[in-house]
Amino acid sequence: MQTNFSLAQLSNPDIRDANEILRTCVHCGFCNTTCPTYSLLGDELDGPRGRIYLIKEMLERSRPASETDVKHLDRCLSCLSCMTTCPSGVNYLHLVDHGRRHIEETYKRKIMDRLTRRLLGAVLPSKGLFRLAILFANISRVFGPILPRQFQKMLSLASYSHVRNKVLTPSIYEAFGAGKYRVGILTGCVQDSLDPSINHSTIRLLNRHGCDVVLLSGVNCCGAINLHLGQEEQAIKHIEANVQTWLASDNLKKLDAIIINMSGCGTTVKDYGHILRDDVKFGKLGAKVSALAVDISEFIHRIGIKDSQLTKKFRVAYQSPCSLQHGQRVLSEPITLLEACGFDVVLPKNGHICCGSAGTYNILEDEIAEELGTKKFRSLEDCSPDIIASGNLGCIMQLKNAGDGVKPFPIVHTVELLDWATGGPPPLSMNKNLGDLS
Amino acid sequence: MEMPGPDPEIIGRRENIIKALQAFIPANSIIAEEEGLRPFECDGLTAYRELPLIVVLPENADQISRILNYCYQSGVKIVPRGAGTSLSGGALPLADAITLGLSKLNKIIEVDYENRCVVAEPGVTNLAITEAVEDCGYYYAPDPSSQIACTIGGNVAENSGGVHCLKYGLTTNNLLGLKMILMDGQTINLGGKHMDPGGYDLMGIVTGSEGLLGVITEVTVRILPKPPTARALLMGFNSSEAAGKCVASIIGAGIIPGGMEMMDRKAIHAAENFVNAGYPLDAEAILIVELDGPVEEVDYLTDKVSEISCMAGATFVRSSVNEEERLLFWAGRKAAFPAVGRISPDYYCMDGTIPRHRLPEVLKRIADAAVRYGLGVANVFHAGDGNLHPLILYDANKPGELESAEAFGAEILKLCVEVGGVLTGEHGVGVEKRDLMETMFTEVDLMQQQRIKCAFDPKQLLNPGKVFPKLHRCAELGRLHINGGEMRFPNLPRF
Amino acid sequence: MSSVFEPKKIIDLEQIIGDALAQKIPLEILGAGSKRAVGQPMVTAQQVSLVSFSGITLYEPEELVLAARAGTPLMEIEKALDQFGQQLAFEPVNLGNMLGSKLAQTIGGIMATNFSGPRRIQAGAARDHLLGVEMVTGRGERIKTGGRVVKNVTGYDLCKLFVGSYGTLAVATDLTFKVLPASEKTRTILVAVEDEETAISAMKDSLNSPNNVSGAAFLSREISKRSKVSYVSSANASIAAIRIEGSAPSVEARCCALKKILIVYGDIQELHYHNSMQFWKEVGNVTPYVDKVGVVWRISAAPTNAIEIVRKISNNLAIEFYLDWGGGLIWLRVIEKRNDGGAVEIRDAIKGHGGHATLIRANEKIRSQVPVFQPQAEGVATLSQRLKSSFDPTGILNPGRMTYSPGPEHAN
Repeated sequence: MQTNFSLAQLSNPDIRDANEILRTCVHCGFCNTTCPTYSLLGDELDGPRGRIYLIKEMLERSRPASETDVKHLDRCLSCLSCMTTCPSGVNYLHLVDHGRRHIEETYKRKIMDRLTRRLLGAVLPSKGLFRLAILFANISRVFGPILPRQFQKMLSLASYSHVRNKVLTPSIYEAFGAGKYRVGILTGCVQDSLDPSINHSTIRLLNRHGCDVVLLSGVNCCGAINLHLGQEEQAIKHIEANVQTWLASDNLKKLDAIIINMSGCGTTVKDYGHILRDDVKFGKLGAKVSALAVDISEFIHRIGIKDSQLTKKFRVAYQSPCSLQHGQRVLSEPITLLEACGFDVVLPKNGHICCGSAGTYNILEDEIAEELGTKKFRSLEDCSPDIIASGNLGCIMQLKNAGDGVKPFPIVHTVELLDWATGGPPPLSMNKNLGDLS
Repeated sequence: MEMPGPDPEIIGRRENIIKALQAFIPANSIIAEEEGLRPFECDGLTAYRELPLIVVLPENADQISRILNYCYQSGVKIVPRGAGTSLSGGALPLADAITLGLSKLNKIIEVDYENRCVVAEPGVTNLAITEAVEDCGYYYAPDPSSQIACTIGGNVAENSGGVHCLKYGLTTNNLLGLKMILMDGQTINLGGKHMDPGGYDLMGIVTGSEGLLGVITEVTVRILPKPPTARALLMGFNSSEAAGKCVASIIGAGIIPGGMEMMDRKAIHAAENFVNAGYPLDAEAILIVELDGPVEEVDYLTDKVSEISCMAGATFVRSSVNEEERLLFWAGRKAAFPAVGRISPDYYCMDGTIPRHRLPEVLKRIADAAVRYGLGVANVFHAGDGNLHPLILYDANKPGELESAEAFGAEILKLCVEVGGVLTGEHGVGVEKRDLMETMFTEVDLMQQQRIKCAFDPKQLLNPGKVFPKLHRCAELGRLHINGGEMRFPNLPRF
Repeated sequence: MSSVFEPKKIIDLEQIIGDALAQKIPLEILGAGSKRAVGQPMVTAQQVSLVSFSGITLYEPEELVLAARAGTPLMEIEKALDQFGQQLAFEPVNLGNMLGSKLAQTIGGIMATNFSGPRRIQAGAARDHLLGVEMVTGRGERIKTGGRVVKNVTGYDLCKLFVGSYGTLAVATDLTFKVLPASEKTRTILVAVEDEETAISAMKDSLNSPNNVSGAAFLSREISKRSKVSYVSSANASIAAIRIEGSAPSVEARCCALKKILIVYGDIQELHYHNSMQFWKEVGNVTPYVDKVGVVWRISAAPTNAIEIVRKISNNLAIEFYLDWGGGLIWLRVIEKRNDGGAVEIRDAIKGHGGHATLIRANEKIRSQVPVFQPQAEGVATLSQRLKSSFDPTGILNPGRMTYSPGPEHAN
């Protein structure tokens, strides 16, 4: 596609990158069809092709973002389904993040919106603050109805937590038997607070497969939350801290991989190299971390999973998180692993369409999120599964919400099933269902 | 490309028009601010752009009828738009016209297996129709390569083809009924679930009319039971000529494959880069031949076609071993156009059809012209039916390259006509080929075509500036010119 | 008194029409004239016959294309195609015998009336096979549309308007159409069925199976008795007939698959090559009504509605019928005498089902008293009239052949 940037504009490396991305787009429109918001709303502006155009215009004209730009870019889930579809290879991820930065820099949001975003950007990535928020949520449920809608949403998210499992403390979790691999791990800021059992399962699974797991105290939020809110500065702060911590550990003793079990985070960590590309100090280091980063399913698939100890067949509807299938292009590994463990895996119709969780999306664009969540839940329900599995906590929560009061399928993380099959305890959230299933 | 000059009077009334529309169209269906209009300024053909007056995205047929009636009464022009994937600028906006987007009408209304048809709103994508019925073993046959995105309403407007239309026909051959709204807001029904009704074939004339006759609000298409087996043969050749000969021999042997597609070296490389389908990268041309039917038939034909291809000098023959691989072979072909975006920032896609046996000559002359214009060209070819898609590679950011590409394109299309072919096989005339219409039609031909337009849209408010190089007023077209002078048949009895 | 012009060159034809236009002289346009008796009766002063526009002008078997002048006899084209194992896939029918005409129909007449045979359901109609036309309009102007290639969307598809226009828009001089390889094998499965409902189910199951059925008809016991194919006439039962065509291994396989589907509906017999050809000729050419007097209607409807439509009609009218196109085409003969040929009952029965009934065979008196073609909704009728005017503003080409106007005068 033709672009109109001046030489002066192109001297800015960010604009140069954007220009290169825009030039690969040929405006074919394939992306619109697999975009969740376009298929719901039927408006060019709510599809990737329209958003690309909005960003192109903002950047070309160096004009501040308008209400229209903001409305339609905010509605983007960043599910990256468009990138899987795009035959021309447009890097929408980098372009939309650029667009969001531009919005944060040039647009003044309404006060409530601003407050919510700031709150989300500050609270979610911080384990301490988030746990406080959970506490607050539990106390303040009585006040819920009088709070603004987005706050109510935030609280309902926080109150999801079932802290039945202790949060993991930084340490080296040693392999059962001789350690063959040494891996770092990202436990995820939100995940660690909301559902630490997923991390327990992950570490058990890794230990069982000969991995020493290094959980470092300096590693916190991956930066995704701030990044997608357009809060670049805060994001970079988290990212640099993580890079530093992991590489320090790697220098001490080589890491074979950095394991991520929350795929939303995985997409971002795998992109550290790009995010820090112009950073003199961290540029190359970011790329090094990105190269080490793998999704837990990718890693287990690589090293080979142990034999399953399950005797009964369970039908698992597998929901492939967008960040995994589109962001990281990891689609078959979790399915292969589940099948290897003896699960009967079924895939829902329209598996490429987002469930609407998308980080903070279900708080900020709750109506669209809810509609997508319901659709996703229905398509999973149509598979008549015993269990629903996903590779991302966000999706799990979204599906639990959508399925609330409909049908109580156990909805678990893939690693919980892999852990269970290879000798671990059954997933916590399955306890009450197990009786019915077996 | 010159478009009809905008009417300042309409542009001056813009605010009033918006207000009038707001009376019966929800606010979020009207786009009026410039930032929001900009993404609508072009369709799949980005070389031509124009900011629309207003964009309206109606939610149902009733709203469309009211919009059209309002525009008819107040003399406002309309440009209909489906998914905006046209490669001929069919949905190019006009500065003084409302762009009427049909993307919100995206529901499948009825699936009728007993009568083997689907009734759908115009904004449903081509692929979505197949997806709606495939679980029960059916599919919708026409499959334009953009089927993932293009809408059925747009398919009707353009009479879209696809890679399977050699055997299964174009949109017009798979259509049973239409509901459409005329420019004055009146709804008419054409056809239905039955075949070949009497009376003039209005549905036939509307199909492929490029949004100039009416706005389609409901489409009834035939669906077919899926063949039990489908197998794709991938073949590589040392030259396009050899591949072309192979095609002729296959058809000469009385075999009509489900699909028969050719790609040249550049297209092969671009597509392979996207899908990793296993295309032979050292081949000058590949053919994908799909055979379908009962497994016995497919086995039998696979042998026959393989034999023919070897005789024709294929250097590589591979048959898909499963459905996944078959789809993969096709995936590369279907994504070939946009995949070319990987090797060139812009491309200009041609769509001429030629008598198949002229292929070697046409390809040679295209290659020669490419050297002359200093531009690259990748060829994708519906080999079975002679529909050629040369993709001219250019860089719109380089001054003069678009103009070169346009001139090159015009030369290719004229060449197609010269060898007995036509300007456009399936992408439509739109704005892109409008000024070339006279290479194929006489003034008299074109005037008769425009009279059809006048019968449907006497005020000429629907999608003006497309298809016809010269606009005549309907009154002028209706005038009768009787040649006076000598009568050759004076014995005609009088009434 | 009317006389016949037989122009030999296009320029003559242009001149004739030009002159007729100047003098407002209505013309009857004819190929061979085999289907003259279809349509509203006309009062014309002059006939223009196209029989001199004859001969195949282009035939490239490997390109699957054939062009011929409008007056070329179908037989000549079929003979040429046969030499290369090709055919007109829409299976042109010959209604001559049924209409009481012995004339050999022309390709122009076939396209102008758009009658297609049993293979319509699989291969499309005549309309789907016409690629290009050169014609002279009622304005006396020579125009061309389409081309010689299958894939063509350049300009409006006037071929579609020409097909089925009964010579009311323009006079074709040259036609180009798509031809296809003829099948190596053809086979018909006959199922002795209980009644028409069973037949509809049997046909539906066959058409909904992936066996690429190219013919699906139902004949009552009474009608099947009239067949020259002894297997059919001696079956002494109502039959559903399913045809498959293609290469030998394919026909064999599909035949097996279909028999498995059809066995539940009744006893099965198979017709091979010649018998199969003969049978479908009878179905397409409406042979069962050749020796029977009475008005004949052709009703196009959604297959699932066929039975209900026929039942409704038979409540008020003595009729017989058979079905083609899997039930989508009803050939109906009115046994009792009615001044309107049963038009009221038949069109009433169709109402609400979205079908079309065309009066195909009736004497002039009946045809002048009822709309021969299904009356159209107002919007469509207005549009059709405007299209007619755009081609033929003074209404000199086959005036009134397609439009019913009550009253004694029909000229235009």
